[in-house]
Amino acid sequence: MPSSVCLRRLSLAPSDLTAHAMASRSLLAYTQTASFSQSAPLSAKPGQGKPAGPARGERTLNLGKNKKVQRDMGKRPAPGERKALRKRVVLSNTNALVVEGLNDLTVGNIETGDMQGQVVGLSEPVIDSLRAVEAFKATQGWHLFRRPAMLMRRETTQVSALMRDVETRKKTVRRILAGDRASGKSTLLLQGLAMAFMKKWVVISIPDAKDIVSAHTEYAPLPGSNPLQYTQNAYTANLLAQIAKANSEVLSKLLPGTDLKLPIPTNRITTLADLAVLGSKNPELSWPIFNALWTELTQPGRPPIMLAVDGLAHMMAPSAYLSAEAKPIHAHDLVVVRHFVDHLSGKSALPNGGMVLAATSGSNQPGSPALKFSVQLAEARAQGATDLPMWNPYQLVDQRVMEVLKDVDTLKLHGLDKRDARTIMEYYAASGMLRKQVDEPLVSQWWTLAGNGNIGELEKGSVKMRA
Amino acid sequence: MPPRLNLLTVPRTIAYRPKVAASSLRNGALTRTSPLYRNYSDSKDTLGADRSKDPTTQPLGGVSEEAAKTADITGSKGPELEQGTPVEEIVKDDKEAQSKLPKVMQDSIKSHGPKGSRSFSTSARRCDFQTEGLIHAEMPPPLASMPPGVKFGLPTLPVPADAHLKYRYDPAVKLFTNLIMEHGKLSVAQRNMALILTHLRTSPPPTISPLRPLLPGSPPPSHLPLNPTLYLTLAIDSIAPLLRIRSQKGAAGGGVALQIPVPLGLRQRRRIAVEWILAAATKRKNRGSGKGGFALRLAEEIISVVEGKSSVWEKRGMIHKQGVAARANLKLGIRR
Repeated sequence: MPSSVCLRRLSLAPSDLTAHAMASRSLLAYTQTASFSQSAPLSAKPGQGKPAGPARGERTLNLGKNKKVQRDMGKRPAPGERKALRKRVVLSNTNALVVEGLNDLTVGNIETGDMQGQVVGLSEPVIDSLRAVEAFKATQGWHLFRRPAMLMRRETTQVSALMRDVETRKKTVRRILAGDRASGKSTLLLQGLAMAFMKKWVVISIPDAKDIVSAHTEYAPLPGSNPLQYTQNAYTANLLAQIAKANSEVLSKLLPGTDLKLPIPTNRITTLADLAVLGSKNPELSWPIFNALWTELTQPGRPPIMLAVDGLAHMMAPSAYLSAEAKPIHAHDLVVVRHFVDHLSGKSALPNGGMVLAATSGSNQPGSPALKFSVQLAEARAQGATDLPMWNPYQLVDQRVMEVLKDVDTLKLHGLDKRDARTIMEYYAASGMLRKQVDEPLVSQWWTLAGNGNIGELEKGSVKMRA
Repeated sequence: MPPRLNLLTVPRTIAYRPKVAASSLRNGALTRTSPLYRNYSDSKDTLGADRSKDPTTQPLGGVSEEAAKTADITGSKGPELEQGTPVEEIVKDDKEAQSKLPKVMQDSIKSHGPKGSRSFSTSARRCDFQTEGLIHAEMPPPLASMPPGVKFGLPTLPVPADAHLKYRYDPAVKLFTNLIMEHGKLSVAQRNMALILTHLRTSPPPTISPLRPLLPGSPPPSHLPLNPTLYLTLAIDSIAPLLRIRSQKGAAGGGVALQIPVPLGLRQRRRIAVEWILAAATKRKNRGSGKGGFALRLAEEIISVVEGKSSVWEKRGMIHKQGVAARANLKLGIRR
């Protein structure tokens, strides 16, 4: 819910015409208003008057028949403590067995592609970077195994082939990752990010699009924008901090080439990592600094860029923010979202090449019929269908979303084949998490029960002990 | 005088049809035997013959078709069946004329051909591997010694205990799950059970107190996290009381109840143990927020049971002490 402070600030921004109109109307309605007020200008100080009830933990006389046994609740958890516990991402289980012969993913074996169909581990620096961009989700099964490892599936090889294409031909690849629920879309995104980190790309990732549009961070109109756009300073500052932390190795070797044109002294900035850190420490300047960083990154000779977002459907709908007229602001009017969407739609290209990956979510998605339709259309197009699906003309459509997703391709995730299913189940068994002999009948049985090898269901069935 | 109402005669005729014998029904369903006689009006064809070309099965034409046919027979001029000019037939082979047709007609000419693909799918998910069926693809070769009528071979005996659908989960786990359940929501209970087992798997191995010995023959604590079902079963069985105290009213004289120890069965013992654990977990403080809070508390309580820290051990000790004291009240079956 937006805070009242922000609304008050917004109401100053447009002309005071509406305010005048309101005033005249109220004068007409109440002609007998007094010119002064006798009520106190401030409400009473807290602590004065009768308290609403006994303080916590205080003993009170209870003569009633049904006495409730009061439990000592102790100290209340600090603000944010319980949420932090809920959102905690654990990447290691010290009880799990060490898997012998588990190789790490390296730049070399990404290039050769001989890791397809195998489970590979991630090296420490990559894990740190992925943690910084919040690529690991608390709902995924990382907490069960000794160290993060993943299956290199067919779709992963497709992504790595696309990345090779980007590097050789400096083109911009745009893809929506679509598929069934729990088919591994977020994990594929994570694999893409991991490969980008290894190849020394610059990675800018929005871990969950819901956080941008849910109106939990402050916002303000961007001065001089037409149509009106909105900045989110706290969010952008946090994003810059994530960029600086995750890409510190790459950004600390890049020097600013152009004049940064920032309203604060920039003589201490020697690398782009410094610039990102500066933006994270000055939230009010975070958007101009993000722009300056982007300008620097798109200069010739810079590394390719990976732009990623998870939970795309949240971006393709009106946000929970309200404008000065108390109308919902479309998500595309938020500057960070617009920046991403412009690159997804192909309106802006990445001059040094790069990749824009947007994963849809199967479990947390608001209804976005235009997105759903666009994905269907893209899939039909990819199959070479002659009569493409048509939008029902009697249904309202979010035209902005349709326009943006007009020619974006999808990368559809299917279930694993039986060989891959066997590989991942053998990894579960080797970690000590699946206490069964992995043989052909067991693999067939679980593969079938998991909806033709849907990897999330496979994990749920074989590892998560639903009983 | 005879009664006016005669109970023995039926007031009106009853449409009574004797029940068809079950054996004859089964025969009819399985095999169509031809009847012994054939009516003149019956078709000479056998029952399964294709009759779609029969003139009697063709649909009737409209009024004008009938009139046209009659006129054709009588040699007169009947009504014109074709309406309008058959433009499509005229331009059928004329490509140039076709290009000048209105768009609607061009589309209709095009649409006669076979379509490329539908916009919607009529099939289930496509499989890339043809060999992959839903069931295990490589069938076992039919053995010579296989009894007739058996396609997949006989099951190996004895059939494992969890092969039955209703008993597919471990009995202790199932009992625990059912006791967690509130308002009949089994799937919520199952989710909580999964969270408990996951917590047991991911928390460090317990340190077992020598004052609270577990069941004799229990595995070393380092083996427990990798086998959470055993961990849970060990916790339950270690604290399960051997008996309960039944108080018999007035048996001690003077309106005082007599305490009588009663031995318990396995499920009863387990049930009491789980209820004690649930009661202790309810009193614990919730640390996080969200759905899994109770499951987390329950898992922590189970670990503290195994480590000998839980208050449940005192409960068990108390019951056993009472049982020893009430041993005197037992009247063993001494018969005269």
